[in-house]
Amino acid sequence: MPTVLRSVAFVLAFSLIAFGLGTGDSVSDARWLALLGTAWVLLLVATRVRLPAALPSFNRSLVRTALVLATVFAVVSAQLVRIQIVQSEATVNRSATAPNGDVVANPRLGNRDLAVRRGEIFDRAGNVIAGTERGDGVWIRTYPDPATSYVAGYYSPLLYGTFGLEATYDEELTGQAGNNPFLRWRNELLHRPQQGVDLNLTLDAELQQTAHDLLGGRNGAVVVTDVETGAILVFASNPNFDPNALFTSTPPENEEASAYWEELNAAPDSPLLLRANLGRYTPGSTFKTVTAAVAIDEGFAAPDDVYEDDGDIDIEGRVLVENNRPDPTRTEWTLAEGLAWSLNVVFAQIGLEIGPTVMWEYGERFGFGSDIPFDLPVAGSQMAGSREFLDSLNALADTAFGQGELLVTPLHMAMLTATYVNDGQMMRPYLVQSVETQAGETIRSTEPEVWRQPISAETASTVEALMVNAVENGSVQAATVPGYVVGGKTGTAETGGDDPHSWFIGFIGDPEPRYAVAVVLEATEGGQAGAVGIGRDMLAATITSCRPD
Amino acid sequence: MIRTGFRPTLRLTEFQLLISPGLLAIVGLLMIFLVPRGLVRWTWGDIWVSLAFAGLALAISITFGLRGFRGDQVLLPITATLAVIGLLMIQRLHPDLARLDDGYAALAQRQLLYLGAGTAILWAIVMFAGPLRFMTLLRRYKYTWLLLSLALQGATFFFGTEINGARLWITLGPVQIQPSEIVKVTLAVFLAGYLDEKRELIGSSWRVGPLSLPPLPYLVPMGMMWAACLLTLVVLNDLGSALLFFGIFLVMLYVASGRAFYILFGLASFAVACWVAWLAFARILIRVQNWLDPWQDPLDTGYQQVQSDYALASGGLLGTGFGLGRPTLIPEVHTDFIFSAIGEELGLLGSLAILGLYFLLVMRGFAIALRAQDGFVRLLAAGLSAIIGIQTIIIIGGVIRLIPLTGITLPFISYGGSSLLTNFAIVGLLLHMSNLPRRA
Repeated sequence: MPTVLRSVAFVLAFSLIAFGLGTGDSVSDARWLALLGTAWVLLLVATRVRLPAALPSFNRSLVRTALVLATVFAVVSAQLVRIQIVQSEATVNRSATAPNGDVVANPRLGNRDLAVRRGEIFDRAGNVIAGTERGDGVWIRTYPDPATSYVAGYYSPLLYGTFGLEATYDEELTGQAGNNPFLRWRNELLHRPQQGVDLNLTLDAELQQTAHDLLGGRNGAVVVTDVETGAILVFASNPNFDPNALFTSTPPENEEASAYWEELNAAPDSPLLLRANLGRYTPGSTFKTVTAAVAIDEGFAAPDDVYEDDGDIDIEGRVLVENNRPDPTRTEWTLAEGLAWSLNVVFAQIGLEIGPTVMWEYGERFGFGSDIPFDLPVAGSQMAGSREFLDSLNALADTAFGQGELLVTPLHMAMLTATYVNDGQMMRPYLVQSVETQAGETIRSTEPEVWRQPISAETASTVEALMVNAVENGSVQAATVPGYVVGGKTGTAETGGDDPHSWFIGFIGDPEPRYAVAVVLEATEGGQAGAVGIGRDMLAATITSCRPD
Repeated sequence: MIRTGFRPTLRLTEFQLLISPGLLAIVGLLMIFLVPRGLVRWTWGDIWVSLAFAGLALAISITFGLRGFRGDQVLLPITATLAVIGLLMIQRLHPDLARLDDGYAALAQRQLLYLGAGTAILWAIVMFAGPLRFMTLLRRYKYTWLLLSLALQGATFFFGTEINGARLWITLGPVQIQPSEIVKVTLAVFLAGYLDEKRELIGSSWRVGPLSLPPLPYLVPMGMMWAACLLTLVVLNDLGSALLFFGIFLVMLYVASGRAFYILFGLASFAVACWVAWLAFARILIRVQNWLDPWQDPLDTGYQQVQSDYALASGGLLGTGFGLGRPTLIPEVHTDFIFSAIGEELGLLGSLAILGLYFLLVMRGFAIALRAQDGFVRLLAAGLSAIIGIQTIIIIGGVIRLIPLTGITLPFISYGGSSLLTNFAIVGLLLHMSNLPRRA
């Protein structure tokens, strides 16, 4: 074979292998095998050297055999590189479903995880939310405080993986991100445990406990946020789960953990679905604050504009009855009074004034239909199933006072409330204040950040005043906290058959508002009183415990 | 000229090269015992095995020197290194396997016994083959070796013990022997004798019209080998041995005749036969499926291969280190899949190094063949070296999913008496042949 041809064949074979190594999704997919086969043939060509004519036939054949063998060894080496290096990560983490439905995963993963000294999670005061303790050859995950444990999520290396903050920050907690790569490499080489980095949360374990005391086992959620920063202080959900029961470090413990898992999944009220970020509820009258904000921001209405409400309104043949008027003889109400007394007829008219296009547009500005950036996944809020829904006048009116197809999460409601008192700026919510190595070196610190500005500062302060008015002069007087400025709004979410869910959103300040709360109580018999009480006590507890820094 | 009499010689290269496997044995065994338990204290009792093996290897080298043996000085160190890795791996797997199944209780001890016996055979061949005129015996009774090969394969068929669907073993009292391991050597001996005898016919060929067919002495054994290998595959379900036998045959035929055409024709016809077998037999279909995508059935037929993939992949570049991986998750890890265990614990660097050692071993064997004076010796040296090379490629290629998996041992490393004894015998024969008169 001419030298040129052999060189070309060699270069080609090498390029084919290099190209094949980098592509394909499986160790031995047909394409890679075909590439490798072609490369092998090219290598055979490349090694077909010219042998001296004087060489005896036997030696000639033996040299050829040796060269062929060399090409085969080269191909075997290429496959070894593929299986051990190129496809290594993908194969290690690969799982497959057997024909009988069982899932097969790499049994090494759990133990590899257990060998990592996982980073710890602390509340704002340094209380342990998720801790790491030395066990017998492995590291044991503990969650000492039932009120905060589920906010961390769960960590179940042998069975169910990670969930919640444990999942979002898995790379940090296992030390794959944030740590010095050289240290990681050294630890790996010397078989020292990898050290994860710690998370410091904005969560306040004491206030979280207060929230749970106030909920008293009833299903629902309480979210408290710092209005200026978006930091989450309370993130309480009922029902919830005990992540301690899902962590196992040895196979014998798995049985009990699986039983608990089955129980969680079979429970009708879905304890794994944390209400604060994943529960979607109809907002009821709390949404009137949004309608008011839209109307004022667009110049359709002012707080003193007067609307007629004589007990009912006829919209395209459907009669909407008003039950909330404090004085049945009065027929004219201002927007401010409408919000203070939660008059559906007034807000139906405002909604019709706004119209579907503007309403939908503001919904998008307020974050409906968007993914809220947060440390945990957040269920999406919706203004309606689709934009067309609002084209019906009745649907538009229903939406304006908080029914229709509206769905919101408690977290989103807390963010909306904070927007009114933060000059119309909607802050990006966050739970993780900082990420810190065990040596105490801060790797990353969360800076408050404006997510959106749906309404102007003037509109926002107007809505703030309307909500303060509702507490001082309207139907939400139960939310009053002596000595502080409190604004609020209640809501009742009609759910069809069962008892309605009740809402409270509000804020507290001295006098400048500093904390916002959103409370939802599922299917409460007592009506709104429960939610208002929880909200009030939560706001009072927050402002008294969190003195300005 | 045949050397006679004992003229002691200094085998310094061999002695020096043996130091590294000796140290590997000692350090490796210490790692296996100490690292997973986090200990730093050890006693001589922990490493007596390694000390004994290292001592044995050095002692062999010295007795060779005293005997005046002037043959190859690299084969023994390479073999010793591979054997040490096998020894360490079995020592490392033994406690884990014994915990899984009482049947493995004496695994490490048995392997030591085989290793000792293998070393003894190697030593005996080198020391006594010359005076016994071993090569003459081998050459003269070539048809006896052929008959022995056929008889062993036949006996496997009639009296064999079936394990895991393949009939590879004959049980003789307390021991099980794997006849195919012996057959691969006797076959090479027969072929060397036969092909050497028919050497003059190389130039001739039959002409049938435009076709030029191989002369009868090539055509007949080719057909017989082809049929015998296919029978091995179909009747014994032993794809590994079938491939190995056919590979040995093709290499020796090519080396003797110098005609690549025969090889291509042989390969093509065997490939066609395999393809037909694939269509005809479900178990071969499963093999192919497990090669291309074992993840389709990861709990049943694909289980072993999937676990092996996990092991090799978790090894990465440097491996987990001896005793720190979990290779015992792979069924049959101590035999067919020992290379996956090496890949997991020694990483790509370790697996490539071992591949390189096998390559060196084969090349060294070929070099002996090149230098040999006698035609039979040349063919036999080439054939025996090819056995090691082909067997290595077949099993490693199967484990890393380059070709369908076949149940065959990794020379010097896998657990198993028949395999260790015959492979040591092969190295002994190669060493002996390296000391025979050379071509000018």
